[in-house]
Amino acid sequence: MSAVHAALAGDPVLAAHYADFRAKAEAALDPALVALIGEAVAAVHGIEAAPDESALDEGTRTALAYARRMPFEHTAITDAEAAAVVAHLGEPGFVAFSVVTALADAECRAALVDLPGLAAG
Amino acid sequence: MSSIPRVSSAIPGEPAHFGSVLAHQPAIAESFFALYGRFWQSEVLAARIKEVARMRNARVTECGFCRNVRFDKAVAEGLGEAVVDDITDGYETSARLSDTEKAVLKFTDALIHDPELLTGDARAALQRHLTPAQIAELGLGVTLFLALAKALITMGLEPEAMDRTVLPTPAVLEAAE
Repeated sequence: MSAVHAALAGDPVLAAHYADFRAKAEAALDPALVALIGEAVAAVHGIEAAPDESALDEGTRTALAYARRMPFEHTAITDAEAAAVVAHLGEPGFVAFSVVTALADAECRAALVDLPGLAAG
Repeated sequence: MSSIPRVSSAIPGEPAHFGSVLAHQPAIAESFFALYGRFWQSEVLAARIKEVARMRNARVTECGFCRNVRFDKAVAEGLGEAVVDDITDGYETSARLSDTEKAVLKFTDALIHDPELLTGDARAALQRHLTPAQIAELGLGVTLFLALAKALITMGLEPEAMDRTVLPTPAVLEAAE
């Protein structure tokens, strides 16, 4: 369970809406890519080990390199970097990828401030 | 940072903006707007407090679109421009921001920037000023503000120029209930 979802345990309606939003975003991408994005972003935050990319295709490695920029370098991502991910995933895929990656970053940050613990009182 | 859209609009005749680009993924868009409306219409945490956190996120993430939008419910709750101007570095000394708002801003900075900022005192202050339910709602809000700002910026949807704009506060969608 994500940190935000855990914190919303006392509000089942908002929790269900948030879970649905995450589920819809993740369902638009290959589940393997979603998992890799989560691992890559969590590794940047020092929460998990970085994923093994040795067997991945070039497009996926490009997407993960982009994802790793989201936590601390989002304003430095170039048009060329974005275009490379669009070429790999297509425009609808890039939209879902942007949402999933940005949410992965925010979720890590919510965990790092112990949002569930704060919301438990 | 680019102000040239990196994704085209999915709505014929409309320029690329957050809504028209998200329309590439209708299921995500529908779910997001249902969530965002429910969040903003909840009365657990005042709209003014949510907007204080949203404005801080806008400044730290450098989201020009977010920075220039105001939601009318927060304006009606007294969040005028003089207060917004104080939501900058050094907000701790503001005479216009309440102690609750300063605790919320410290939490916001910790989540979006540096978790080390949530020291024991800052954590205690947050829990003194907000109930657990309010903290949960605030945490959801800051998570969404941060993710949306970064998604918007990285998709190249920052406007080249934008006037300050008061918008209706996101509402609960009838079809989503």
